[in-house]
Amino acid sequence: MDPAAASPAPAPAAEEPRSDASLLDALGGEVLAVMSPVSICMALVVLLISLLSPPSSGSAAGGSPPPVTAATLVYLESPTDTPAQKFVGALLDAAVFVALVAVVTFVLVALYYYRCTGFLKNYMRFSAFFVIFSMGGAIAAAVLRRLAAPLDAPTAFLLLFNGAAVGVLSVFASAVPILVRQGYMVALAVIVAAWLSRLPEWTTWIMLVALALYDLVAVLAPRGPLRMLVELASSRDDELPALVYESRPTVGPATSSSSYASAMGSVEMQTMADSGRVGGSRYDRVEQDEDASSAVVEMRDLGRGRSNIGETNRSGGSVLPVTSTDLPSNQIGSSQHAVIQIEQSEEAETAPLVSAASSNNAASDEEQRQSSSSEPMDFEMFESTRGIKLGLGDFVFYSVLVGRAAMYDLMTVYACYLGIIAGLGCTLILLSICRHALPALPISIMLGVTFYFLTRLLMEPFVVGASTNLVMF
Amino acid sequence: MTVAAGLGYALIALGPAFSLFAGVVARKPFLVLTLLSSTLFWLISLIVLSGIWRGFLPIKSGTWWAYAILIITSVALQEGTRLVFWRLYKKMEEMLDAFADRISKPRLSLTDKMLISLAGGLGHGVAHAVFFCLSLLTPAFGRATFYVERCSKMPFFLASALIALGFLVIHTFSMIIAFNAYDEKKKCDQIVVPVVHLAAAVMTLVNLAPGGCLIGTPLLLVMAALTLQYCWRVACRRLTEHQHRQLNNN
Repeated sequence: MDPAAASPAPAPAAEEPRSDASLLDALGGEVLAVMSPVSICMALVVLLISLLSPPSSGSAAGGSPPPVTAATLVYLESPTDTPAQKFVGALLDAAVFVALVAVVTFVLVALYYYRCTGFLKNYMRFSAFFVIFSMGGAIAAAVLRRLAAPLDAPTAFLLLFNGAAVGVLSVFASAVPILVRQGYMVALAVIVAAWLSRLPEWTTWIMLVALALYDLVAVLAPRGPLRMLVELASSRDDELPALVYESRPTVGPATSSSSYASAMGSVEMQTMADSGRVGGSRYDRVEQDEDASSAVVEMRDLGRGRSNIGETNRSGGSVLPVTSTDLPSNQIGSSQHAVIQIEQSEEAETAPLVSAASSNNAASDEEQRQSSSSEPMDFEMFESTRGIKLGLGDFVFYSVLVGRAAMYDLMTVYACYLGIIAGLGCTLILLSICRHALPALPISIMLGVTFYFLTRLLMEPFVVGASTNLVMF
Repeated sequence: MTVAAGLGYALIALGPAFSLFAGVVARKPFLVLTLLSSTLFWLISLIVLSGIWRGFLPIKSGTWWAYAILIITSVALQEGTRLVFWRLYKKMEEMLDAFADRISKPRLSLTDKMLISLAGGLGHGVAHAVFFCLSLLTPAFGRATFYVERCSKMPFFLASALIALGFLVIHTFSMIIAFNAYDEKKKCDQIVVPVVHLAAAVMTLVNLAPGGCLIGTPLLLVMAALTLQYCWRVACRRLTEHQHRQLNNN
């Protein structure tokens, strides 16, 4: 192939850009690839909640009393309490919950430190299976009941079991299509969030704020558990023992000459999410030791690896494809089948949405890619570039916030959605500036909570008053 | 109202927005981000506005002049937001141009800039439709529908959906006109946009009179059509001028 054609020289007629070379086409793709599953997850949770007869704020619904969970150990809110009682009780609940999460995270760090990775992986598999089978099954049963749709028990059991089994496989095996894995991640988040939104109102809000603060401390403080975990994982060049959503865009060979794909820094937001055990089998009386998740945003400043999917498929089932691209920039992958090209992006940049490689790096990218593409491969070669990874706990807590807003009104839902997306965007921008682990929860949750209360208290009387009189502007 | 009717009303208000989104905005991720950020701006301006007005609520429906003051202040604030959005867009444009130069790609073309302004306007319009129309629709699913006394000939939701459609068109295309006007520094276009907005908003005051919505809603749609036509003229003129300039340069 002609190296001159492959180099990213500007098109000769710069006055007349072709639509495929436009700047707008390629910017922001990775950011959107993270924001869309977050939006889908939130939309599904809102739909589920509005379908399953939301409890009106303050009164226990005709159906189920709030579940007994770790978040209501100290104080269970009942509608007859005074606001002061509710507030204090919710504070206590949140404190207990955050303490529990911190303890479990420390245990996780200790296990990881002593290399009990087998135990951790099996525990993750078990929790994924459990969430989909039991909690997801309960939600499915409630939906079927609500829609009065007939489905017999053996079929339901079979479908649920198969769904859960495929879910476990897709979460931890490497040979599963990325779309299936992404779908299951979103499904897991939806189930956990729909379940968590059944907590009482004050408890939910205070717990969200407390978790955001905890996340801030756990990731940024020198002895914070999540920071230690991230440092351990990166010092071992290993993947985090966590459930993580990856948005890996694949760039086909035809478009590989647009070098924006090479212009991404790698951004990882990682978390640990696992769900607890279930005491009973009824949906409304479940004992849960939910350790959720605090999200960590981390940027590997050493650039991203580019590997062929063919290579990762053949590198064995136990190696996750993400691991092969996790190698820091100074190593070359030692696979016998193909060469992993790892380029280093030095500048992190002031580019608004994407961190860019300098142009000489981009040129060398092209050459290296050309040389690797000339190797014979069995099947089609796609280059997978590292997309942004977002931890499942982020999904869950964003959706819990939006779900709780949905129990009030659609206006609050939209306002909270915009607040969360804005917070996510800010976090991504901050990430490209300071290149180390950042928590993804605080900004979004704070903005979401602020917008919720502002909308509910200020905006709603105003807008509803105007629009019911058909006066609009 | 039934789910089918509700879906119908929602599509009346947001159908063109969906088509614009799917056809134009969704193809370029940057435009989707622009849409989201302009929606956020509109929301913030609405929150500020309601913060200012919260002390004076609820307004008795007899006093139409209170609504008039409300409308004037709201339109003023929203036009101010448009200016702030424009300034931010200019800064973003500089950064994007510098980025493009650094990686040796062509700069933002005129079409790109117009697309960005379209996405921005669409964001404003979608936010308006959601907050003023959709938020009343979704709680109302179920039996029966709702009529307002002063508008007994038309279902309330139909009127609000049509008004939301009119405003969506007005917001979307007046953003294109406004950005062009600020870019070319044409005073008359810069004045046209707030005037159109104010006129449209004042026209909804007609809905306060009994039977007024039968007059107000079609008038608003006429204004929307006028805005659309004006934007078409502005865009055509700008694009042909640009092409002529390029041909002359080459």
